[in-house]
Amino acid sequence: MNNPINRRDCLRMLGYSGLAAGLGTVSSRQLFGQDVGESSGFQSSVIETHKVQSNKNAAVLVNGKVIQPRRELPVLDTTDVLVVGGGSAGVVAAIAAKRAGVNVTLVERYGHFGGLWTGGLVLLVIGHIVKGGKQVCQGIGEEIMRRLDKLDGAIIDRKASSNPTVDAEAVKYVMVEMIEEAAVKVFLHCWGVDAIIDGNTVRGVVFESKSGRQAILAKVVIDATGDGDVFAAAGASFEHRSHNVGLVSRIGNLDRVNKEKANGSPQPRRLGSPTPIKGINWVNLRGPEVDGLDVATLTRMEMNHRKFIWNNIQKNRKIPGYESMYLVETAPQLGVRITRVLDGLKSVTLADLKAGTKFPDVIAVGGSERGEHGEWQIPYGALVPVKTDNVLAAGRCICMDIRMADLVRLIPNCFVTGHAAGVAGAVAVTDSCRPRDADIKKIQKILRQQEAYLG
Amino acid sequence: MSPHVGSKTLLNKLTSVKGDRLRLFIRAVCFTVAIVAIWPVFPDSNSLLFIPSLSTFVAIASLIGTRTFHAVTWLGLTIGVIALVRHRFFCRWICPVGFCVDGASKLGKRLGRQSMRAPQLGRWIVWLTLGGALLGYPLLLWLDPLAIFANIPFLVQPSSRLGTLLPAIGFVAIITLSIIWPQVWCNKMCPLGAFQDLLFPARRFLHSIVAKRSETDNKRNADLIIARRTVLSVAAGAALAYATKPARAKTSHSIHPPGALDESQFAGMCTRCGNCLRVCPSGIVKRDIGQNGLLNLFTPTLHFENDYCREDCIRCTEACPSGALVRLSLKEKANIQIGLPRVNMNVCLLGDDRECSACKRWCPYDAIRYFFSEEQYSLVPQIDAQKCNGCGACEAVCPTKPLKAIVVQQNPV
Repeated sequence: MNNPINRRDCLRMLGYSGLAAGLGTVSSRQLFGQDVGESSGFQSSVIETHKVQSNKNAAVLVNGKVIQPRRELPVLDTTDVLVVGGGSAGVVAAIAAKRAGVNVTLVERYGHFGGLWTGGLVLLVIGHIVKGGKQVCQGIGEEIMRRLDKLDGAIIDRKASSNPTVDAEAVKYVMVEMIEEAAVKVFLHCWGVDAIIDGNTVRGVVFESKSGRQAILAKVVIDATGDGDVFAAAGASFEHRSHNVGLVSRIGNLDRVNKEKANGSPQPRRLGSPTPIKGINWVNLRGPEVDGLDVATLTRMEMNHRKFIWNNIQKNRKIPGYESMYLVETAPQLGVRITRVLDGLKSVTLADLKAGTKFPDVIAVGGSERGEHGEWQIPYGALVPVKTDNVLAAGRCICMDIRMADLVRLIPNCFVTGHAAGVAGAVAVTDSCRPRDADIKKIQKILRQQEAYLG
Repeated sequence: MSPHVGSKTLLNKLTSVKGDRLRLFIRAVCFTVAIVAIWPVFPDSNSLLFIPSLSTFVAIASLIGTRTFHAVTWLGLTIGVIALVRHRFFCRWICPVGFCVDGASKLGKRLGRQSMRAPQLGRWIVWLTLGGALLGYPLLLWLDPLAIFANIPFLVQPSSRLGTLLPAIGFVAIITLSIIWPQVWCNKMCPLGAFQDLLFPARRFLHSIVAKRSETDNKRNADLIIARRTVLSVAAGAALAYATKPARAKTSHSIHPPGALDESQFAGMCTRCGNCLRVCPSGIVKRDIGQNGLLNLFTPTLHFENDYCREDCIRCTEACPSGALVRLSLKEKANIQIGLPRVNMNVCLLGDDRECSACKRWCPYDAIRYFFSEEQYSLVPQIDAQKCNGCGACEAVCPTKPLKAIVVQQNPV
């Protein structure tokens, strides 16, 4: 708390503390939110321990093995639709389900929304157009883009048949705005670690957070974790794939490149492409093809990539004219592309894309990287696990032929599958049925009402 | 009386003044059939193949040049057998070009033009070509009238490319020639007509067996002269084919359709009939308009800027009348190499670490992999030459402009 105004308020508060204990309580609530224990002081106040889970049931060593004892978990929340993962698929899914009229809770492991789009600094939005420049990504995803249009310095290149680039902070802001407007209940800093199952049926998800291990019970869970953490924990079958793991960075002062000096010297590579902020480019990095679920690998990637990015900038700064270029930041979130892929009732295949297959249960239409091919339909079955019930996949982990991975994982294609999963979850809750039995016509109708494009 | 003489009497009757109208009628019918066959009226029937395959000249040259009996060789051979029995029967009754030349010649005569005294160019063309065919390179096969005739539709099809239009001008040239010097094409220049003339000694030999007549000294002398010229011109053809071989092998850097013969043979075996251009569903077959020297002029080349050679298509190999494109099964086509793609990392989006996977995704043969180069710290596309058949799907889908980062090139092997 470095805010001088707050500190002054607090000092004043302390001065009046003997007179009005109640005033102090109200002020500290304003500062900290409602979960702080009631106390008269501000700095280092004692928080009542019963609010935080105690460590009574710590793991124990039994004959050299680490054993986690059985214990009852506190239920943080009970809801209709629980969306795990607040990335481009999860945020859209939560808003869609809420707008379809059910209670929704959204949990996210980081402190902000947007996932790889914002935390991963994947600022270039590719995948919303197809051949001929037609935009197939509509609905809530497009609503986010339109809100970005209205902000200053939030998005560039928003025109037909071109892929726009956004500002990550603007996206985080717009997502907060939309989540709040939809009145979706949110828990940030919550990492989904386990599924709560009852046979083949998912009843909720266990989270780890600073508040300890807690459960959220739900009628339908939408797995928008990208890695399929929930359906995998619930025992659904999946394919575990390796893919390139990279790290995006932003570089600055590109508007101060001395063109006269640079003239004649070789144009440095990896200058990336422009962002809405003047002089700042975002730079992609593909990285080697590795297992994105292996923590030792992820650690190595983080360290190697940062070393490479830093050294590469130093190398480029030696090129005449580029001396003032600098590294603004590396992305807080590692660029994991594909890990687990669901075994679903139906699969999104390259053969269907080439054949232009129309599915009776179409719930979304996907786009291309750069408009080099036509639109492709995504069937509802691609979100539904073969056996496990009450869980739907959304985003990059839906069921697909692996040759479709580089299309399925694109941000707009995550929007549309998230949108569909949200609506389908709401329909299943409303009609009190399993998601696999949800009325597809009703899902399609609501999706169209929410301005989704279904071909 | 032998049946042969009987047929001769009948034909004589038919070709008498009374029979002229009948002949005109039959030729008009044949012409109509020929036009329908070369027009894309029945696009899936492969009717295009029929007309250029009727040429005995092409059939024999292809038989000698490729040492292969193709599926349609029998058509040309049948016409050849008829020529043994009835001199120039094909020219007088069937040939659609002859029909047009006759009309043009009549016009020429009415305009007061007279036929030119010219050497028997057609025979020279035939002997040179067959001589070349012995070494696998039939020099002047592209002068076949039926192949030229097959190009007529290109005259009326709107096309931006000069290459598709120019060969069709061959037919216009024949007609113009026939107006200026009536009948000179059919009588003196046409290699298909001349080929039938050259079957003359063989015909006489057959006659001698049938009629048991002895030959006169004059005729024997004439045979000797023909024989000497024949040997000389065949040798000249072979010598030319031999002399140009090293040059030919080097000239073309373009990619020919699947099943194309070796570079040293292809330009000779190709009749330039244009069938492969017209059957290609992707529209990737375009004519060479001099990019690879005179020898390769108007031969079909593949261009993958917008589309690729489909994995489920072998139509061009089925439509080739001369065997310049060897017939392939779908399985065989998957295993040949039309060309081999090369990647220009200075252009490739992966070279700048951008997000693109188009070529890998669209490769029908799963022949492209992206390898991570520790040194470059970026991905590099690598092509598995064992799997790749050079279909060009990668080039067609490559998003870089104006240069494609991945371009199919002629296979160096």
